[in-house]
Amino acid sequence: MVRAERKVSRQSLAEAVGAHYQTIGYIERGQYNPSLDLALKIAKFFDLPVEALFSLEPFRPLTDEVYGRKQS
Amino acid sequence: MTTTQLTRYDRSMLRLMNDRRGRPLYATTTRRRVVVAAHVTLTVAIEALIGYFCLAPAEPVWPAAVAAVLMLPWMMATGVINGATRGLLELRERALDERQSADRMRVLARAHRVMTWLLAGSVVGLLAAGAADGDALRVYAAPVLAVVLTAHWLMPLWVAGLTAQDEPAEDEAAVL
Repeated sequence: MVRAERKVSRQSLAEAVGAHYQTIGYIERGQYNPSLDLALKIAKFFDLPVEALFSLEPFRPLTDEVYGRKQS
Repeated sequence: MTTTQLTRYDRSMLRLMNDRRGRPLYATTTRRRVVVAAHVTLTVAIEALIGYFCLAPAEPVWPAAVAAVLMLPWMMATGVINGATRGLLELRERALDERQSADRMRVLARAHRVMTWLLAGSVVGLLAAGAADGDALRVYAAPVLAVVLTAHWLMPLWVAGLTAQDEPAEDEAAVL
């Protein structure tokens, strides 16, 4: 999780992108799909491409990414 | 939510509505339901007491006094529901973000649907009472209108309280 990895609180991310801290939580839980505008703002905040943070498919676990285990 | 356009009033309301001190009162779905049920009960009780005060021929003072006392827990329950929804209906549109705005529209639409049924039931009930007893329509029209007006005013708050979700835990497994 990028936010935890960068040690950013929900509150500070929310303030930076002009959203409510609960909205960040709901996005993280997969209960809310942000608009393109908000997704781009979040990606800009982390200085990452938007597809690094949002995907139509669930992300693979980090250990699989690092150790290259094949997807089943 | 664009914080640059917020007035001082908006900011103070935003702070008030996001004050987490009352969180234990609305932390779970069950607690939120209990608060909404209490709010509905208090509203009905206050309305009945005021109605009795206005309509009773002797004009007793005690119903107004009891209604005034009940207003305190009613206001507290209103505050708890507003806290649970983070001011979804109290804050101005510009103080809400895109998810909250969408939630508000959803709540208002659902409350509108419920009110349509309530109004339809009231009209049918009044007409049926009027058909059974010619005087009933004249006697009950005003109280029913008052009840429906109150329900119309508070229905979005009740719907918002019932549909509010649990707050995501900070350490929860996440997408971002």
